[in-house]
Amino acid sequence: MLKGKVSLDVTQLDNFEYDMSKCVKCKGCTWVDHIYMPGVTFSTRCPSATKYLFDSYGAYGKMRIGLAMLEGRLDYSDELLKILYACTLCGACDVGCKRNLDLEIELTLEALRIKAVKDGKGPMPQHKKVAQNILTKYNRFGSPHQNRNKWLPSGIKPADKAEVLYFVGCSAAYTNPEIAQATVKILNAAGTPFMLMPDEWCCGNILYSVGMADEARELAKRNIEAVKKTGAKTLLLSCAEGYRMWKVDYPKLLNISTEDLGFKVVHLVEFVDELIKKGSLKFTKPVNLCLTYHDSCSLSRLSEPWTPWQGERGEWGMVSPTLERRRGTNGVYQPPRDILKAIPGVELIEMIRIRENAFCCGAGRGTKKAFPDFASWAAKHRLEEVKAIGAEAVVATCPWCKENFAQAVKQNGDKLKVFDISELILAAISG
Amino acid sequence: MAISKEAYKGLEVIVGAEYISANPAVCEGYRAGPGGYECGLGYERVMTKIPGCVIMPRTTEEVQKIVQLCNRYKVPFVPYSTGWYGPRSHCHVSDELLVDLKRMNDFEIDEEHLYAVVGPGIIYSQLQEEAMRRGMYIVIGGGGSQVSAIANMIGDGWSPLSYRVGLPHRRILGTELVLPDGELVLMGSLATQDDPFWGEGLGPDLRGLLRGFTGLRGCLGIVTKMAIKLLPFQPERLEPTGISPHTTLELPVNRVKWINFTMPSKDAMRQAMYEMAKAEIGGGVTKVPIFWRAIAKASCKEEYWELWSKESEETISSFHLLRVLLIAFTSEEQMEYEEQVLTDIITEIGGEARRTRPSDESWFKNADSAGMWLMCGGYVSVDYVIETIEHAIPHGENYAKLKRNFTPPLMPDYGDPGWFQSFELGHQGYSEFLVYWNPDEDTDGVDHFYLETSKENIRKRFYTSLLGPHQPLYLTGPAYGPNYHEWLLKVKGEFDPKFVCHPPVPLAHDEFVERAEWMKPMKDWESPEIKPSP
Repeated sequence: MLKGKVSLDVTQLDNFEYDMSKCVKCKGCTWVDHIYMPGVTFSTRCPSATKYLFDSYGAYGKMRIGLAMLEGRLDYSDELLKILYACTLCGACDVGCKRNLDLEIELTLEALRIKAVKDGKGPMPQHKKVAQNILTKYNRFGSPHQNRNKWLPSGIKPADKAEVLYFVGCSAAYTNPEIAQATVKILNAAGTPFMLMPDEWCCGNILYSVGMADEARELAKRNIEAVKKTGAKTLLLSCAEGYRMWKVDYPKLLNISTEDLGFKVVHLVEFVDELIKKGSLKFTKPVNLCLTYHDSCSLSRLSEPWTPWQGERGEWGMVSPTLERRRGTNGVYQPPRDILKAIPGVELIEMIRIRENAFCCGAGRGTKKAFPDFASWAAKHRLEEVKAIGAEAVVATCPWCKENFAQAVKQNGDKLKVFDISELILAAISG
Repeated sequence: MAISKEAYKGLEVIVGAEYISANPAVCEGYRAGPGGYECGLGYERVMTKIPGCVIMPRTTEEVQKIVQLCNRYKVPFVPYSTGWYGPRSHCHVSDELLVDLKRMNDFEIDEEHLYAVVGPGIIYSQLQEEAMRRGMYIVIGGGGSQVSAIANMIGDGWSPLSYRVGLPHRRILGTELVLPDGELVLMGSLATQDDPFWGEGLGPDLRGLLRGFTGLRGCLGIVTKMAIKLLPFQPERLEPTGISPHTTLELPVNRVKWINFTMPSKDAMRQAMYEMAKAEIGGGVTKVPIFWRAIAKASCKEEYWELWSKESEETISSFHLLRVLLIAFTSEEQMEYEEQVLTDIITEIGGEARRTRPSDESWFKNADSAGMWLMCGGYVSVDYVIETIEHAIPHGENYAKLKRNFTPPLMPDYGDPGWFQSFELGHQGYSEFLVYWNPDEDTDGVDHFYLETSKENIRKRFYTSLLGPHQPLYLTGPAYGPNYHEWLLKVKGEFDPKFVCHPPVPLAHDEFVERAEWMKPMKDWESPEIKPSP
């Protein structure tokens, strides 16, 4: 709506009519912040616009397309669906726009997918299969539900009751057990009792990301209720995608604020960083590596807490009451860096595009499933940057990133090593 | 499909299927508005169309073939680099081919001879970083860091740094231009050798095809490569710092420094500009419009309006903030010397230094033009003039008076007289008049004001850069010539006999006035019923 009542409800695209109609094509959504512009290489931060090149794949194109959809001027087509879904929803465009214009780009992109689903055109066929897996097997892979806790290493017994609840997530439970195993060993080493969900289900990240808001909302209700029943005060995650889902998208879907969840949502790096700073956890074993850190989007620019808002848009586009914009400024950028710097033997070198300017690995928000070539291209593009700075290894805070990078390294035949940060933390504790 | 199957097939063969599309969703992404420079106004609504097809060439040869094919099939086309310059750089007629040049992003830099060779896909902040890394710099035009360096060099291309660096047409070196019929023109020393070092070559100097004071917005061909002169800079790094949106360049203050001065009057500002020029000190000097200060202070749109609503006619008329840039190109001693001279000048005139942040957010690397939309959502510069400082000041004051008649729909700005600055060490003065409006209200008054500024320039004998495609040619041509319009159309006819290159530019604003009902009452000049077209 250009004037009148408006909210941040992503299930109504017209909430974002103002945002779609005020894009000025500065392409701040695509370019690295000009202050940090590194030159002619590695100068963009939007994977979709960088790969597909047509303006239509950048947020500036999508805002115009979205407006045409809202006004009924554009019919669905395969190309239109590709434009909507061949996008990692990584938030780079959103922070870029909010440097100058404060338009709600990320929410608009999410709302467009929700509209596509409502209109019976989305999501992509590959997403429907994943959704079916989640709704019937409670994990995105369609693996047997009873195998969900098979990753649990012998010798580690979760508590029946504890303040910390470790939400493992589908990836670490089924395809990247090394992350879950490292996480619980770290908790064990830190003397932190933890419990697991009595019956953990998928967080629903894919459902929400592809526009299946109703299904995601039901899952959110179920999962939140399940956590509340455990009495946990802290929900710990080692998956950045899951972290964002719990911290931002659940509250968004339920029209509550993050703090109203009733428990704190914490990523492993925040938890460990605090332990180190309190002196409760010490790194004693050297990890002799020259490595670089990849900012997983959902831990960094997309991770600021959610506060619901509704109000009025008036003269000059001003809104009231005050809207605290989520601009990515307070993402979790420093804790993982501080952790890596604290590990003896680690030489941390930074990539060219870091923090809010980081280039997404390409895996998340349904991209890898529907557009595997694009996801692979994005990972390889990012790895070029890793190689350009001379790092031996790249470290992420999300199994999605790790998996996508690892596959790209394999396809490339590179010698680069790919780690989740939990593995390095564990190595620094136990050798 | 908007253009014929034969033409499309031919175009596809030139670039490959991956780089051409006539899909409606792809084409919709290239719509000019509704947001953007000059967008939301009548010109955008009446004169722009979405393309019938978009093509992305990689090489000059491909551009030539595309243009030749357009001539063969009579397909109108428009060159497009970043799409920043609002409606005038977008399609104006149905079934037009938009030639998106972003893949043409080749880049070479010659440190020894201080120039870079760029394709139209290279933007200013990329060029500036590459230059600064090697001890050189360039002016990033006020259009912004995000614009194509070539498009801006042939369109506008100035900023406060033009005080020292000079105007853009002096920095265009060897250049490659594909004419509207597909013929390749090599300008400057490229005409005789594979070396773009000289802008001048065998005469006549064809750089006039690219621009006068401003450019022709793509109606005389496509520039596919340009060598741009770079200037030597001081050696210390301007360090990027902060997290978005609070990012900035920390300045090495022993070498680079902005100083803001409160001046007692506008005349004192003028005097300071002249005295600085006589002393040959400074890297830039500009008057700061008060709303820029409000934009810089505000953390959001709502806060901007809170700050702005506290201003009044009185505060605006007594606000005289002079912003001076010092660059110690040669040594730290140069900084000491220039700062002392500057202090003497300002003290003598009665100015006072204010505490100034040792950082740059606006001119060196991040020219923040996008921020101009924060307050209102609608923005255009209705005029920019390069003449003398004596001319620049009354030009702005005059426009401020004129603007009262059109406020609203223009933003209430309490009679702010615009922006002026000193160029080329005081030899020239620059005036730019920026206007803002609410694009969600009736904007006819903005269209009227835009045209009225042109009439005002004619009435008051103000010089103006916005001739050619920016205003009705039959209004401005006889007044600034007296036959400037005839010559421009002759040139257009010579080089674009089929009128396929971005039609109906340079007669687009004439056509807008004819087609927009609300503009017709303003037409008090003669123009032929059937306008000459090549």
